[in-house]
Amino acid sequence: MQTFVTEAIEWPESAPALRRKVRDLVDAHGEKDPVRRANCWTKADPEFSRKLGEAGLLGMTWPKEYGGHEMSQLERYVVIEELLAAGAPVGAHWIADRQSGPLLLRLGNEELKRRWVPGMARGEIFACIGLSEPNSGSDLASVRTSARRDGDEWVINGQKVWTTGAHVAHMMIALVRSEAGSERQAGLSQFVIPMDAPGVTVKPIIDLTGAHEFNEVFFEDVRLPASALLGEEGNGWKQATAELSLERSGPERYLSSMVLFLELVRYAGKHPDPAVTQLVGRLAAEAWTLRLMSASVAAKLARREDPALEATIVKDLGNSYEHAIPELVQACVEMDMASKDALAAVTGYLLQVSPSFSLRGGTREILKGIIARGLGLR
Amino acid sequence: MTDTRRMLAEMADPLFAELGASATFERDWSRVEELGLPQLLLPEAEGGFGGNWEDALVVFRLAGFHALSLPLPEAIIATRADAGSEEHFLIGAFMRTAQIAGALDAALGLSVSYVNERQQFGRQLGKFQAVQQSLASFACEAAAANCAAVGAAQALDRGDARFEVAAAKLRANRAVGIGATVAHQVHGAIGFTHEYPLHHLTRSLWKWRSDFGNDSHWSAVLGEAVIAQGADAFWPALVERTDRAA
Repeated sequence: MQTFVTEAIEWPESAPALRRKVRDLVDAHGEKDPVRRANCWTKADPEFSRKLGEAGLLGMTWPKEYGGHEMSQLERYVVIEELLAAGAPVGAHWIADRQSGPLLLRLGNEELKRRWVPGMARGEIFACIGLSEPNSGSDLASVRTSARRDGDEWVINGQKVWTTGAHVAHMMIALVRSEAGSERQAGLSQFVIPMDAPGVTVKPIIDLTGAHEFNEVFFEDVRLPASALLGEEGNGWKQATAELSLERSGPERYLSSMVLFLELVRYAGKHPDPAVTQLVGRLAAEAWTLRLMSASVAAKLARREDPALEATIVKDLGNSYEHAIPELVQACVEMDMASKDALAAVTGYLLQVSPSFSLRGGTREILKGIIARGLGLR
Repeated sequence: MTDTRRMLAEMADPLFAELGASATFERDWSRVEELGLPQLLLPEAEGGFGGNWEDALVVFRLAGFHALSLPLPEAIIATRADAGSEEHFLIGAFMRTAQIAGALDAALGLSVSYVNERQQFGRQLGKFQAVQQSLASFACEAAAANCAAVGAAQALDRGDARFEVAAAKLRANRAVGIGATVAHQVHGAIGFTHEYPLHHLTRSLWKWRSDFGNDSHWSAVLGEAVIAQGADAFWPALVERTDRAA
């Protein structure tokens, strides 16, 4: 039984040059505050996203015809791991670049592609994903938001919740029930909904740190043209779950607490202590392993293999790691949590947001169920 | 996987499976010698196999997987460095990492087969969600140990692998704890008996965790290196180690 096969990764020759480009851009325009640099893929800075677009660092693998740069998946991987390791505020364009753009290019009709993709590659059009609903978190097969046909149009009614970035997004790709009376995975379709369409209302959900990342989104008789249907009618479940496996393996799944690890190294340099030194070593070993695993999944995706099981393993281990760091640091280093000191401030912030790490992209229990299925237990 | 590695695996796998934990040096050593396996890492000019560390990984991993009770991995690394040297300690740590990876995968496979057969409370153990979740955690740890072993082998083939071997041994050591615990837990009392094969794997895992550097040894080594390098250099140095190979 071997659940994870890694082979040598052919890192692109352009990697050093790409890293330099990203580091220069982050030095010039990135976020300086260490607390804002932690968990940075949730921090929206539209100005920074536009700078990345100008530098040709968004939509890197997409066709030139739609504003992309036709580079390789691993070149993109190099750029995103650099951005995350540096704590750059990538939240505004994150979903468009990672998921929605590729999904539109794969399944969208010409009209959808022309309307949305080039702006995404410029860092000017941002996306959100309409999956969860009230009473339908990880159990996506129970979505109730409906799309009803009316002549040439579709009429959307219902509600999405926990929608990351809906307040900065220009469009949503939503999973909705397009066949009245259908059950579970059947009768679902994906639609592209402009966020400024009449009948769309966004209501903020403020998290326990006071930050605004999530939203509720309401649809009241939102009318969409027939061309807003993404992919095949009734095939939404398959399309959306394939999208989730792409979402699970990226370096964002283990780098959320990287800034804190680096603050710990800084602290250890000034206050030598064997326990802190060992913690640094242990966390470094884990970071090295996770990078190898995450990049290995990216290499498989680039070879057009389907690493769904591996991706799930990376997300589970990665989430556990980034979740553990603030707690381990707090247990190891004496600190006054009320102080403005960088180590305490970042630890305090991450302790509060870390419960979200193993929720976003599927809860730990759901992931373990997927892994168990991969083992042949279900 | 390269052809050489596939060939090595096809050669070693059935033999190690046959010999396994009941092999004795007196009776069976000639079998591995006939295949030239102890000379795996010697250059062909010196009568060896001319293999590299990724080839060695295949053999070490299978020796761990089949709980092979012959000192073959030890003989292979002895062709590269003298016992007691710093180099020998490092490649010894790699050897144990690879064996741990193999033994964890074997223990996971044994556990999965067992829970799929054993019935309790009217259904297979493997159908209980609590059992599934434990084995999923085990699978994650086995995957991490295996990936770490591959990463260390690749680094050894590139050159200076002190960082990677340290990180890999530490990661594999940590996987032993969860792996051995879950394996015994899902097996219940039968896994604790002498007649059932699980202990050949878990007793080796517990021993190997101490060999060639335990957790505190390698975490101190790694921690000191990372701290000496400084926070700002950590990430650039980490990625440069693989970029250079491109």
